[in-house]
Amino acid sequence: MAYAYLFKYIIIGDTGVGKSCLLLQFTDKRFQPVHDLTIGVEFGARMITIDGKQIKLQIWDTAGQEAFRSITRSYYRGAAGALLVYDITRRDTFNHLTTWLEDARQHSNSNMVIMLIGNKSDLESRREVKKEEGEAFAREHGLVFMETSAKTAANVEEAFINTAKEIYEKIQEGVFDINNEANGIKIGPQHSTAGGASGAGGAGAGGAAGGGCC
Amino acid sequence: MLSRFSDVLQTAADVLAPPATRLEDFEYHWKMILNFYQNYDENNKLHVEETRIPHHLHQMLQLIVDEEKEQQGGTVGPCMEAIVQRSICLLDALCALAAAERPPGARALALTTGTALLRRTRQPCVNSAHVYRPLQRMLIQCNENPASPTEKEEVELLLTLCGLVRREPGLANIFTTPFVEDKSTLLSIPEDIQKLIPIRSKVGKEDNATCSSSADDNASCRSQKTVYDDNDKFLLIDLLLSYLNSADNQVVLRACEGIMIVSSLPEDDIANLVTSCSPACETIVHKLASKYRSIPANVDPSDVDHLNITWAYVAQDFGDKSYSKFHGYRELTSFFSWLDYCDTLMKECHPTIASHLSRTFRLNFLEGAAESGLTDLHHAVLVTAIVAKCLKVIDSPDLINEFSNWLVGEGEVSEWPLLLALVNNCLTDNHDLTLETLRFFETIIEKGTEHSIHRVVLARVISRGYCAPPPAFDDDERDRLNDMSIGREREYNREAMKQLQHEDHVNEQITDILVHEGLEPGLRPEHDNIHRVINSFLLLLPRAILSDPVGADYEHYIHDAHRRYQYWLDATSTFNWPADYNGVDTTASSTHSYDSRPEADIHLDEAFEPLKLEQKDPKQFSQRLVLRSRDLTSQNSHTEEEFDEGPFFKMIFKLLANMPSQPYQVNLHLTSIISQLALLPHPNLHEYLLNPMLPTAKKTPTLFKTLQEVARRLTMEIPRLRNFKKIIENTRLWLMSEDPSYDENADHNQLVESLIVLEEFCKELAAIAFVKYQHSLHMQR
Repeated sequence: MAYAYLFKYIIIGDTGVGKSCLLLQFTDKRFQPVHDLTIGVEFGARMITIDGKQIKLQIWDTAGQEAFRSITRSYYRGAAGALLVYDITRRDTFNHLTTWLEDARQHSNSNMVIMLIGNKSDLESRREVKKEEGEAFAREHGLVFMETSAKTAANVEEAFINTAKEIYEKIQEGVFDINNEANGIKIGPQHSTAGGASGAGGAGAGGAAGGGCC
Repeated sequence: MLSRFSDVLQTAADVLAPPATRLEDFEYHWKMILNFYQNYDENNKLHVEETRIPHHLHQMLQLIVDEEKEQQGGTVGPCMEAIVQRSICLLDALCALAAAERPPGARALALTTGTALLRRTRQPCVNSAHVYRPLQRMLIQCNENPASPTEKEEVELLLTLCGLVRREPGLANIFTTPFVEDKSTLLSIPEDIQKLIPIRSKVGKEDNATCSSSADDNASCRSQKTVYDDNDKFLLIDLLLSYLNSADNQVVLRACEGIMIVSSLPEDDIANLVTSCSPACETIVHKLASKYRSIPANVDPSDVDHLNITWAYVAQDFGDKSYSKFHGYRELTSFFSWLDYCDTLMKECHPTIASHLSRTFRLNFLEGAAESGLTDLHHAVLVTAIVAKCLKVIDSPDLINEFSNWLVGEGEVSEWPLLLALVNNCLTDNHDLTLETLRFFETIIEKGTEHSIHRVVLARVISRGYCAPPPAFDDDERDRLNDMSIGREREYNREAMKQLQHEDHVNEQITDILVHEGLEPGLRPEHDNIHRVINSFLLLLPRAILSDPVGADYEHYIHDAHRRYQYWLDATSTFNWPADYNGVDTTASSTHSYDSRPEADIHLDEAFEPLKLEQKDPKQFSQRLVLRSRDLTSQNSHTEEEFDEGPFFKMIFKLLANMPSQPYQVNLHLTSIISQLALLPHPNLHEYLLNPMLPTAKKTPTLFKTLQEVARRLTMEIPRLRNFKKIIENTRLWLMSEDPSYDENADHNQLVESLIVLEEFCKELAAIAFVKYQHSLHMQR
């Protein structure tokens, strides 16, 4: 199916916070209470519309377990958006956010939009992390924040779509170089006519601009 | 029907009698499965999903999961115990189902059930022989069928086992020789299971016939084990490798993940198994080489550099068949994706595996596949583009090291053939090849190791042989110069006045920058020296032909040089380069040349007097002064031993001198390489490239001499063009606009383009000299 843009997302966070369930809810609109441990990467995709444009979200769901971190971090590269998920009923998953954030920022591009998600909002009675704490963490680190429930589907659509909106705005502002696939954005097949432009070409006179090494 | 009826009966019984224990439930579902197979009709075409088998298996699994939740302190519940004791041989049954694929779909079901058992329980007891043996058998039996429709399920089970091994590395042993049965046993179904589940196995029928039909055969199979022991195997890796050639990219991805998990285990003996008992490294590199060979020879080399591929990308992207950007896109993507996998694997894996893999990479890919293409002139452009891109994208230190050593050679070989071949490729009259090879050199320097930078760049300058003692300065010489300068000054006209104003302007700008950075001229003599160095570069070209006489973008260049210099300081911080780097001294080693000849100062100051009476500040420096001071140092040095700058610098200077006759892109990459070299924090290289006042022998080529040569030629040739000022202005606008249509535009002027590149390059060099000087001052404080 034709799309104007394709955005690559990653979902990261501790094991058992509901990353795979969020993905399943978003792509299949269903909830599966028993879910197998994720080891490698699992893919999901869905088409959304922003500003009248078809956008394909290509979502990479990663393993949360520390043991698989060596493979997981190689998937961060080239993502335009990340959902960083914790479980509001497990304080430790919130405490680990800083590590996840450092890891993500180190292995991905600096413009990546990160959405912080407190999942399992349906389990109010077992809540260990206040909503305000999530908000404060997001503010401090420049993230967008939202509480969701993969079980009731509350805010799940919004989480994925708002991240896409933010990426879309960054494209409009020219923050993302959409011709560089390392940014996790691809122009859809019908747009890809402007291919051959030599990127380094004109930097002109700027051996300086062209020969950057980092 | 019968089973459903029993379920109803059971439910009815539950109402009357106390509820059954979990184990009783477990046994009940087990019996239902056995009943089904005892009465199974081979002619029945019903799919397994239409039977009650999935239901019973699911229930059994759920009972294990549930009982585990109630277990305390890591003990095993009765249902799991039944499996471990093999009183309920569920896993053997799954293996039989997978082997027989009866009813249709049973194999996938058996595999997913096995996977789910391992993934949903915290303690799947894999170290028990009654658990791992049937799992191994199941995997081997499925693996016997190439391109099996259940590949996906098979590889998921394998990956799950890798995951368990990752959490508990000791488990790796169950996939090694003493614990792995010989192949015929692995391909057989135990007799008791054959009785319980009397269906004929679809896979390995012959093995069934020969091996498990009689007890005698079984014994002979077991005796083969000793033979097997001699030949150590690591079954887990061998199985994973067999899925790398799957047509399904998702299957390949899973196998890749599994290999990465196992290879990244910190245990030395596992790493040794991977390198010495499995063909893992060889298979992975072989696959890279074959992907390389399948790249069409007529791919446009300029498409190569834009690719940005990570290793799991192919698995996800290739579902999208419409997405093929250009000819060869698919093949290139597939190749670079695999290269990224090799690189990622090398970063994550055990050091033993990393070094074996990188050696294999060099031997079987670089030397075995790529090298011949670099010297084959029909393919050299594309091959150079691909190999350069390879070096650009790799990140693992082992791989970069091996790659660099392949390029520059090891030990004390004086001229490494491959490096010489690359240098010569730059000097052919094929501009495309020159361009791609220059790009390659750019990357070679960017990705340089201490060894490779030494071999390519430093080997000759390390002796400082380019330095010559200041020449004797005799009266004749002075007279000659006087005549010459007077002669030139007579030619002064309005343009000369403008030139002087321009020089004043540049001087002011530099002073502003220096003051701004706290390096006020006059405060310390070194400040004046850096002023001279900067001036030498900025006043290389006469104002009359400059495209941007205002020089509004110095700040940009300084900022950029600062960032890049910092990068190089970090990148070379571990290099064993001379620590006595002293920017003040080397930037302005005019102490050797200029300052040591006060006569020259006096003489030249006098020369300017008629026109520049107000100029008293000795730091004020003019283009002609630089030119002359250069001329001075080049005199009287014919007696000295000639300095050989080596093939690389010979090539660089030759191309540089040829700038006016070369395409813009070639010049752009050429100057980019030189600026990169000028940034390197090595004292000798620094003074060789960035000190215009360096005393050298006449025949010793230097960067500044070569630049002067080009400047002279441009100063001669450009004013001959009709309407040259307009051409300069337009060309600059075009180049700055980054308009891609410019490349196709036929009437661009190569000569003027080279002027603009040179003009900007001089600003860049001045900025680099300044930033390095500033840094050295900072270090002194």
